[in-house]
Order: sequence, then C-alpha cells, then structure tokens
Amino acid sequence: MTALVLLGHHWRRHRLALPLLGCGLAGFQFLITRIAPTSEQVGFIRNIFAVVPAPVQELLQQQIGSALSGRGFLAFGWVHPVTLLLLGIWTVRVTSGALAREIGHGTMDLLASRPISRASQVGAALAALLLGLTILVAAGWTGSAIGLVTRSLDARAGDYLASAAMAWLLFAAFGALALAVSAAVRESGVAIAATAGLITVSFALDYLARAWQPIHALRILSLFRYDEPQRILAAGPSGIDLAVLGGVLAVAMSLAFIIFERRDL
Amino acid sequence: MSAALEARGLSKSYGRLEALRDLSLRVEEGEVFGFLGPNGAGKTTTIRLFLGLLHPSAGGAEVLGRAVRPGSADWRLDVGYLPGELALWPGFSGAVTLDFLASLSGRPAVDRAALLERLGLASDDLRRPVREYSDGMKQKLGIVQALQCRPRLALLDEPTKGLDPLVQQAFYAVLAEARRHGTTIFLSSHVLAEVERVCDRVAMLRSGRLLSVGGVEELRAAQRRRVSVRFLSPVAASELAPFGEVVTSGPDHAQLLVAHERLPALVAKLGMLPLADLVVEPPRLEEVFLEHYR
Repeated sequence: MTALVLLGHHWRRHRLALPLLGCGLAGFQFLITRIAPTSEQVGFIRNIFAVVPAPVQELLQQQIGSALSGRGFLAFGWVHPVTLLLLGIWTVRVTSGALAREIGHGTMDLLASRPISRASQVGAALAALLLGLTILVAAGWTGSAIGLVTRSLDARAGDYLASAAMAWLLFAAFGALALAVSAAVRESGVAIAATAGLITVSFALDYLARAWQPIHALRILSLFRYDEPQRILAAGPSGIDLAVLGGVLAVAMSLAFIIFERRDL
Repeated sequence: MSAALEARGLSKSYGRLEALRDLSLRVEEGEVFGFLGPNGAGKTTTIRLFLGLLHPSAGGAEVLGRAVRPGSADWRLDVGYLPGELALWPGFSGAVTLDFLASLSGRPAVDRAALLERLGLASDDLRRPVREYSDGMKQKLGIVQALQCRPRLALLDEPTKGLDPLVQQAFYAVLAEARRHGTTIFLSSHVLAEVERVCDRVAMLRSGRLLSVGGVEELRAAQRRRVSVRFLSPVAASELAPFGEVVTSGPDHAQLLVAHERLPALVAKLGMLPLADLVVEPPRLEEVFLEHYR
C-alpha cells in the first residue's frame, strides 16, 4: 500500500515530464518513418557509394551501411542520439530525484520517519523508473507503427518490438546503476552528474571503439555495445547481450538496495 | 508504566567526532519530555537515532517497546516527527502535503481539522503551493503533519522555531491536547521557559553527553537559590560567606547563591542582623541550564 503511495509521489513529481518525453519519442520515431529511404532512394545512394574511393566506401559501409534500407533506417532510430537523449533524461531525472534529491533537499526526513522500509523506497523508485521507461518505449514504438501505416516501406512495426525492448533494457540497466549512485550520495547534483557522465562516457566509448581499431577491444566495457538494433533486426536479440544487460540491471538493483539500507540519512 | 523511548549506551560517531556518547535514557508513555542543550550538543542526532535515520555506532534504542532497526518500518507506525530543519516539497500544496504524509503513515488524520483550526491555517492557505508559505506557516504545517494522525509518540525537534508568540501559545495548547489523548511527547528546545512550562521531565545534553535527567521541579530543587538582602546598617559580607557564594555585596546589601539545605541557617543568621529586606528567588530552569553549560 505505502509502495503505491510512494509510486504516486513519483508520478506527481514527473507528471509533466513523462507525457512530454513520451510525445517527443513518439514524434521522433514517427519522423524517422517519414524520412526513411524508399527502395528507389536506397538504390540511388548505393550508386553514389560505388564511385567514392575504396577506403571511404569501407568507412561509410561500417558507419551507415546497415542503415541503408528502409528497415535498417527505422532500426537506427532506436539508437539515434535523440532517442537516447529522451530516454536518458527520464533515467537521470527519476533516479536522482528519488533518493539523492530527497536527502539533499531534506524531505527524506519526512519520508523516512514514516512506517516505510528503505527497501520500499528504493523499490518504488525502481518501479517508477521502469514503468516510465515502458511508457516511453511504448510511445516510441507506437509513433513508429503509426508512421508505417501511413507510409509504404519494406518494414512492419512488429519487426521493431525487440529493438524497443532492448532499448528499454539498456536504459533499465543505466537506471539501476544511477539508482545505486543516488542511494549513495547526498545531493541530486552529484547523482545527475555521475549518471549523465556514465551514459555519455559509455556512448562515446562505444562510438570511438567502433571507429578506431586500436581501442576496439574496449567496446565491451560500454553498455551500448549490447544494444545493436541492426543486429537484432537481422538475427534477433543475442543471448549474451540480454545476459549482460540483465546482469548489470540485477547487480545494480541489488547494490542500490544494499547501499540505501546501510547508509545514514 | 512502559517506556515510550529507551536508549541504552546509544552512541554515534562520525570518524573521530563523537556526536553522541553512551546515552542511556528512558521516557515513559504519556510524558512530555524536554531535551535541552546548546547547538551541537547532540539533540538532533539523538532524535534521528530514535527514528532509525542514523545507524548507531554503539548501543541500541527501543521505541514503543520495539527495537529500532533503520531498515525496517513497522515500529514507526505510531510515531509522529517534526524535523528541526523542516523541508517540504515546494510544488505541493499544503493539503496535498498533509494527505500524502498521512497516507504514508497508514493511519487516518483524525486530528487534522482541530490542529489546523488551533494553529490558524485556513483552507485557502492549504490550497496554495508550499513555496508561497512564510517560515511560520511552514512550521505550522510541520506541526500538523507530525500530530494529525494522533501518534502514540511525537518527536518534535525545536517545534516553536519561527512561530510568533501568539502561535506559540496555540502550540502549547496543542501539546496539552495531544497529551490528553495519551501522546508521549519528546521535545528538543533551546527555549528554557518553554521546556519549563510544558515538560514533566528534562534531560540536558552537552557535547554529546548526558549531563542530567530529572523532573523540572527536581532540577530546580537541586539548584541554589538566589538570595538578595538589604540591611538598615552596614554588614560585612564575610558574615554571610559561610552560607553560600556571595555574588555581589555593598555596605548595606548583598546577593548570594545558597543551597536549599543551607537556607534555614541563613535565615536564622539574618534574624540576628539589622535586616531591612529579604528576597529569596525560586531558581529558574535557565539558571540550572546556565550552571551546567557555563
């Protein structure tokens, strides 16, 4: 019962942000379907590719080759920086606002003096995070589905359910890490900086390790390595990717519970 | 009578800093208990330890007969709390704040209407966001949230901070009413007159150590009386010195601090001197306090 009251508390605090982010994600995924290339456009672009020098061709193939189809372009929408930014805003906002902000602001005294266990507080924050991510990802997928109904492309909305689910899992893992940080610090600013930094560094590492061979091996350290919509579209989600992201989620969740239980408020 | 609060060897350290050292204390159910001490004495730390907001470095505590364990929650069901540094959610209205905190308490807010009326918070005020409240209004809302569910135990940290004298009077009436309902009140304060007025017993704390615990009357009785005398003709101060500490003296007047048991002997001696006037002031709690903290 009190967990539901706490969940309502999170909802009250984010009731404007969640619909805005949801509309943003739905609108962006819809836009992706409007600008995705048709088969004729893809053929034209491939012809241009054919006339550039071989090393450039290789680089272009590596960077955008898989997105060079209507289907691939839509999958790319799930790792586009705009999508990541919108999901990241929710992740940072909920996790830093749930524990660290209440402690820093002083309102945690009022919450923690009620008959609510600390585990319930972490659990409610986690539920708010995951529920919000579900709504956002569902909104994005719906935008994409509406776009596909109104434009003829060689893709079906159902093809992107797995990509959407992996984006959810990726940010759930980031969110659980962020919640562990939020459970440990006293100020929301510190939690925001740490979480935003973690996501940014992870993204940059994945991008650089893909583009620069000498550090390619470091890619496994980035969580973005385990969410590749193009690969999911071609072969379905990989068991290893699921295990890594699910494992990070489980470990970080446990850490958040343990840290918050043991700390002074 | 059972204990509403009990601490046994309760200690809290932050690195080398000992915020609270070996506190053993028992507060009976139905009592109004005052907790006195200067800033940094450990009052707030003690309250936060009782609430399980802090983990003790040593010792333990019981609240309403249940062991305090920071991770668990059931023992806080009957507890109301007003923090010393009250922070509220600025975007919430007063009414939303009270509803939210009552629903977290898991008990109906049976006393809310009476408290709001007594403290002068109107329903129009409750519709406004808390960010528009003055400090005094926030403090009133803090008092209401602490007592609205009629807790068996209320821990109030500096409850009259920011209240004007009129509202302070209303607050004392609120305390009396809560007490009639059987609520045990544990109140920390700097305001000695307040503690003297509302509390049955008082504990004094300095630098994390308990200095004394006792009934207000008991503490007063243990305190030396201030005796002022005026004579018709000059009397040497040395004649009075055996009865207590001579604080000030002149040819025809003197002021002494005299232990309770030495008073009869002093009065007998004064009867033999050319006495013009005699005033024996009952000791105030403030004097007890100052004597401890000087």
